[in-house]
Amino acid sequence: MTLARDIVPADLPAQRVALVDLLDRVLAGGVVVTGEITLSVADVDLVTISLRALLASVSALATPAAEGTT
Amino acid sequence: MSADLGVWAYAITRDDGGTDVSSLTGVADAGVRAARAAGLTVLVSDVDLAEFGEVALRRNLEDLAWLETVARAHHSVIDAASRLFPLLPTRLATVYSSDESMAAALGPRREELLAALRRVGGRVEWGVKAYAAAEAEPDDRVPAQAADAGDAAGGRGAGLAYLKRRRAQLSSRADAWQSALAAARAVHAHLASHAVLTRLHPPQSPQLSGSQRPMMLNAAYLLDANDGTGFAARVAAAADTHPELELDLTGPWPPYSFTADDGQDGR
Amino acid sequence: MTQPVRYRLDGDDDPRSAERGLASLVLTIVELLRQLMERQAIRRVEDGTVTDEQAERLGCALMQLDERMSELVEKFGLEREDLNIDLGPLGPLLGD
Repeated sequence: MTLARDIVPADLPAQRVALVDLLDRVLAGGVVVTGEITLSVADVDLVTISLRALLASVSALATPAAEGTT
Repeated sequence: MSADLGVWAYAITRDDGGTDVSSLTGVADAGVRAARAAGLTVLVSDVDLAEFGEVALRRNLEDLAWLETVARAHHSVIDAASRLFPLLPTRLATVYSSDESMAAALGPRREELLAALRRVGGRVEWGVKAYAAAEAEPDDRVPAQAADAGDAAGGRGAGLAYLKRRRAQLSSRADAWQSALAAARAVHAHLASHAVLTRLHPPQSPQLSGSQRPMMLNAAYLLDANDGTGFAARVAAAADTHPELELDLTGPWPPYSFTADDGQDGR
Repeated sequence: MTQPVRYRLDGDDDPRSAERGLASLVLTIVELLRQLMERQAIRRVEDGTVTDEQAERLGCALMQLDERMSELVEKFGLEREDLNIDLGPLGPLLGD
């Protein structure tokens, strides 16, 4: 597979980029044809704790007037 | 005692009767065969359910090393076969209990799948990701000991000054974000106009992408197979035009993102 | 490049790595809260709903918190960037 890049973010090793792109496609792409006795697993989270879920849960805890406290 | 076997699917293609995939090796080093199902052909391997059954899959899919090995093997079959004939990749971990149950699952979808095959025939997928480029003032940390002119007497006013500095920094970051977002939209519109179909994917989180920079665009473009060079040149030109973005082009891919009917029309 | 932190603690044999994973998880939460509080404070100063004295105390507290975060992060051999928080554009909080 050819990689044609103009500017690459300097902090991305080539191997990791390829794996992420690959997993993105095989896990979230492709046709899903399920029947009664098929097994098909989709949308597997690679990070088992999602920061977005964390943000949603802690934002309710953030108090506005934290005067003089840490 | 022989193992309980399941049928691992790689891709769906038309039943031309002449599909020779005997040279391919798939997941768990299994051989690949072409199974006839519902008037279509499915490239499959026979796999041990002890490793690829439902319970085992849920465990194994969370093991990144296992996942990487299997994903690469899965993709290698799809990639090799896609150079021989048009196909629709099936999602990773699509396992049937038998050829018969696979045919039963495909039967109702036959016309839809044939239409999808026509859509991707002679075409390949290219992916473009855009990251917000590093800003001119990368250091977001405010030094605690910074003393402004009015802070002489015991750091008086230092707290207010801190808040003002942070507001200015966040505001300029917001401007940079808006600028990068507008650029990403412009780049996508331009590239989409040269594609048969496009598909927008959710931007990847930093944990997934491995980049500190926010991802502003994560798009797939379906192109005629011989349009790749021209498309790459357009991406390079777009990168020149928009220094506020870093663009990352990958491809050609088999049409992973274009198996369903909801891609956006490019032209 | 530092590896993005994987938050799975099982299956990892190195106890220091597990501790580091736990520490960065905790620090991530603290950093999230710090950024949220900072944005709230900026907004309230903008809105004029705090007095100058309150704003000054808020700013000092947040400044110290920021400094403390840097110390904690360094103590666990991490970088601030490892916490990988990006709350995105400030716009909505400032009512742009």
